[in-house]
Amino acid sequence: MSEPSERAHKLLVESLAAWRLAGSVERAADGALVIAGSRKDIRIERVPHEMFRWTVAIDGRRRPAISLVAVLRQVREALDPAYAANRVRVAIAPLVPFE
Amino acid sequence: MSAIPASVLTGFLGSGKTTMLRHLLRQPEFSRTAIIINEFGEIGLDHELLEASEDSFIELQTGCLCCKIRSDLSRTLQELLQRREEGRCTLFDRIVIETSGLADPAPILQTLMTDAAIARHLVLGSVVTAVDAVNGAATLEREAVSQKQVAVADRIVLTKLDLTGPAKPALLGWLEELNAGAPMLTAEHGRVDSADVFASGLYDPQTKSAKVHEWLAAEAHGHSHARHDAEIKTYAILRETPIQAVALTLFLETLAEHCGPDILRLKGIVNILESPGRPAMIHGVQHVFHPPAWLDRWPSAQRSSRIVFVTRCVPQRWVEALLEAIAEEVAEIGRVGPPRSSLKLSAGVQLR
Repeated sequence: MSEPSERAHKLLVESLAAWRLAGSVERAADGALVIAGSRKDIRIERVPHEMFRWTVAIDGRRRPAISLVAVLRQVREALDPAYAANRVRVAIAPLVPFE
Repeated sequence: MSAIPASVLTGFLGSGKTTMLRHLLRQPEFSRTAIIINEFGEIGLDHELLEASEDSFIELQTGCLCCKIRSDLSRTLQELLQRREEGRCTLFDRIVIETSGLADPAPILQTLMTDAAIARHLVLGSVVTAVDAVNGAATLEREAVSQKQVAVADRIVLTKLDLTGPAKPALLGWLEELNAGAPMLTAEHGRVDSADVFASGLYDPQTKSAKVHEWLAAEAHGHSHARHDAEIKTYAILRETPIQAVALTLFLETLAEHCGPDILRLKGIVNILESPGRPAMIHGVQHVFHPPAWLDRWPSAQRSSRIVFVTRCVPQRWVEALLEAIAEEVAEIGRVGPPRSSLKLSAGVQLR
């Protein structure tokens, strides 16, 4: 495991505030991010060199997440009962302009 | 000097006002038009989207026009007229004022009709209101100011029909209830009938509903109140480092996923790493994000990305943290190459 970056830490802190959810985000001794004081215990680890770059353990149940965006979705689904996932797909198509 | 008509282009956030104005300014009959644009935000972008001549264009960035109406609009118009008189700008014979999407039109109209300092030189021309066919009904349901914008109109221009097909009965019902007398035009990608859109002649409040009379009378008596929902905030994200296209996509997706209805308006000019010479203009309204428009070149010397937000309770700190974290992750994936387990994916794996 490697440590989630400071930016990931900050994003989780700001996300809880933006979603008006209780809880704090702290670093465990091994570097993982732990969300405490909320409806569920959540532990977030970085998994280097893997397709699923993150593991999110919610009340002990571990699930992989492919990106930070997926981590956010898992955290919000776990903590926010009012959250109705809106799986919008934004296609920035074309990704770069045609010449 | 005969009185110059000053027309008002209004409509809620993201209703397509600037796109329409951009189209109109390319038409020959609009070549002698001065533009005043008012944006509700720290950083204006609309002026970079318009191809108006610099000297007959004024951007009001001091706040929302309707809140500072007695001072800023009147002073700006006087300044514009002075420039014209002294030959310091194009000899315009029409002024179009594009209001901010949150603007209450009543004090603007009242000022244009009665302000003594400008009354000798200007007359209130047409009032045109853009209504977004995608979000229009929901916006009219939720935002009182958007109802006012429709009620005062001489012309209503339905926009974004290319996304929805014919306007939905709920929206048409709202428009009928608020302003049955206003002819309805349509605009496809901003293309509206340029001969007709501002052709209603001078503004006549007597042709409007009793409600409109009440609002204008209240403004005439100096009635003042908090015009905007206190929860609505505007801010801009600035970024010097170019953004990878996929990071921008993820960022916009995540915004829409977690707070779509509360993103009242998003627009920006973005320096995409893969397209350094051609910035992307991005637009979003609630859940709807439009494909980016790729500009042929940067409109000014500034090369930083600037994204302006008008939101209801979406903190700036979260938006900034989100963009930074996504950009970092995408850059890291680009540096380390494909993951070693990328070949392990098989049918049935749930991508989260």
